[in-house]
Amino acid sequence: MAQVKATPQTYDVIVIGSGAGGGVAAHVLTLAGAKVCMLEAGGWYDGTKQSDMFKWPYNAPHRAAGTKEKPFGYYDATLLGGWHVPGEPYTNASGTDWMWWRARMLGGRTNHYGRISLRMGPYDFKPYSRDGRGFDWPITYDDLAPYYDKAEELIGVFGTPEGLENTPDGKFLPAPAPRGYERLVKLACDKVHVPCIPSRLAILTRSIHGRPACHYCAQCGRACGINANFNSPGVHILPAIKTGNLEVLTGAMAREVVVGPNGMARGVSYIDKKTRNEFTVNAKIVVLAASCCETARILLNSKSSLFPQGLANSSGLVGRYLMDTVGSDVDGYLPILEDLPPRNEDGVGGMHMYMPWWHYKDQRAGKMPFARGYHIEFGGGRGLPGADDFGGSERILGGGYGVELKRNIRKVYGAQVGFTGRGEMIPNADSYCDLDPDTVDQWGIPVLRFHFKWSQDEILQAKHMQDTFKEIITAAGGKYFTDATAENNWGISRGGAIIHEVGAARMGSDPKNSVLNSNCQAWDCKNLFITDAAPFVSNADKNPTLTITALGWRTSEYIAEQAKKRNL
Amino acid sequence: MTEKSGVSRRDLFQIIGSVPALAAATAGSSSAQTHETRQGAYQRKIFDDHNWQTVRVLCDLIVPADERSGSATQAGVPEYIDDWLDFRKQQDGNDDLAAQILGGLAWLDRESSRLSKTNFAAADPEQHMQLLDRIAWPETATPDDRRWAGFFTKFRDLTLNGFYSSKMGIADLPYLGNTAVENWKGCDPAVWAKLEERMKNGYKGLGGEVKPWT
Repeated sequence: MAQVKATPQTYDVIVIGSGAGGGVAAHVLTLAGAKVCMLEAGGWYDGTKQSDMFKWPYNAPHRAAGTKEKPFGYYDATLLGGWHVPGEPYTNASGTDWMWWRARMLGGRTNHYGRISLRMGPYDFKPYSRDGRGFDWPITYDDLAPYYDKAEELIGVFGTPEGLENTPDGKFLPAPAPRGYERLVKLACDKVHVPCIPSRLAILTRSIHGRPACHYCAQCGRACGINANFNSPGVHILPAIKTGNLEVLTGAMAREVVVGPNGMARGVSYIDKKTRNEFTVNAKIVVLAASCCETARILLNSKSSLFPQGLANSSGLVGRYLMDTVGSDVDGYLPILEDLPPRNEDGVGGMHMYMPWWHYKDQRAGKMPFARGYHIEFGGGRGLPGADDFGGSERILGGGYGVELKRNIRKVYGAQVGFTGRGEMIPNADSYCDLDPDTVDQWGIPVLRFHFKWSQDEILQAKHMQDTFKEIITAAGGKYFTDATAENNWGISRGGAIIHEVGAARMGSDPKNSVLNSNCQAWDCKNLFITDAAPFVSNADKNPTLTITALGWRTSEYIAEQAKKRNL
Repeated sequence: MTEKSGVSRRDLFQIIGSVPALAAATAGSSSAQTHETRQGAYQRKIFDDHNWQTVRVLCDLIVPADERSGSATQAGVPEYIDDWLDFRKQQDGNDDLAAQILGGLAWLDRESSRLSKTNFAAADPEQHMQLLDRIAWPETATPDDRRWAGFFTKFRDLTLNGFYSSKMGIADLPYLGNTAVENWKGCDPAVWAKLEERMKNGYKGLGGEVKPWT
């Protein structure tokens, strides 16, 4: 039978979560000499031992197709997690169609993510000042720039200096040469005046910090067996363990931050999933990095007589202004790519080129029908054939069968290019998570209920994506395919589907309208910090992971400094 | 596939997918193995003995052996299709796809019997071609044949998916990756020269004509 126990030791810091935010906190704090205890709700994971790199889909069930348990395929690095976590439900309020991805494993989503590493630009920190929508961050690009430098130098990001507006360059490793279809699409983009530049991914094109360079097998999503891409276990956590200052507890499901009579965080109560016993681990400082929504859930569940609305929630803003990224897709078929000599087009596990947002001038001139912008990601080429990759041939060939069909498939294989947008969502009051009044998970913890709405800005952005992708495909002499219409809001993604949820405990300069101060320290509880994406004030089109890493680094340095000054 | 890898391949002609469809039923990812992992031990889940004969004939009409590679049955495609129909049934919580395929197979026999007094599997090659020519090009199928052309399109997708994801099909394409590359050089100069030539002079391909654009 479950029982509640307390551990005798008091740590300097407890970090809840081991993804990008928890990893960087553990890394920086243990190197600064702090004794850290990390709680991870999932199991141990080390990609160098557990990666399914180089395996073939024909050796897996159903040719490695995605299932409910493994939505991104049999070989995906996510061992336990996905849109459904067994025994750990969430609910949607009426009218909401939110999806929530969780990875229950050491390193969280960093094991399988796209490694896209884009700095937010100076405009992105002051969106309200620029267009009167949303909110400003309490920090500027210049405040974060040194931490972007540090993050890039540690995790390793390739790219090229371009000097483009609001698209800051970084400390880049050399970019890999583009694939053939990428060079071609760049020329098509030149025709329609869309910038197309080398992408910026956290994959090593040369060896750094004892980690070897990429061998270009394109399977980063399966985790890297040689640690050549950024992942929290291989880059943050294992080195932190080597300092002797980090203890990692896996299968530890955080339930509540425990607060002392003085209103300070005293420790964390968690359920040990193996025994179902509840433990309390004590520390001088608590860092939440459970992922944006899970962090909000822990705060809302940390109710006490001192904090009846949940911890750090005197503003009522915990869970509020939840954001995801806007997505919309168009598929293209480029006849010019047909029947080319066979070649290995794998490259890194992601795009070698991309298109940053380019309409700043038109926006300033009031010529754009929506606020904010998006970048374009694209893929194609002669990729690894898996389950369900050869459907729809009649759309190109008209139909057919027999020897002629076989000959034709060889010619059209690799002539497809697909485009997807990743755009900024403006925070709105209708999008938030709170505690479901009825539902609990199998650990006896109240679960989140989601409320979510896109605004007209996001929908018009999706339309603009559609128009742009069609224009690029047409400029390359291709055919486009899309189901997007005005009726389905131009194919806009479901809320949560892009897995960029941010903003549920935002930082600010006024305790009345923010949860955290400019150091990601809770206004209401000064030894409580957040290092995941919950502190984000806006959700620029730049994918969140690099900013989580930089901001988490800055917060962790602040914690170390304050601890040394005995201010915490 | 959303955040993962930016852009993921899903379908030859539908590369960018949204997230995989959410399944209503519990999946049985461990319950089925492909033919290639358990050669000879395959237990059929959807097709009966007669269906099986028809499926084998139809698969090989779609992907026959040629000078470069073997046929669909030699690559284990009938086993792949049987397993895939059962898998979708479990994942999607309905058997609509299996019904469409079984229904189409039944129509092939019905139509074959009407025309030549024999079921489809036993009919002669000329009879096979006569029937397939009616349903293998959806745009030109008659309104009466429309739903059977829809069946054939789906069956062709299944056959191509099964064949080109097999070891034999991967060598046929050929797909040359999933291996360590010591020195990545980007686009092969010979490939780029060909693309430049096509951009300059235009190109007429299977999927349409490209006008000169440089």
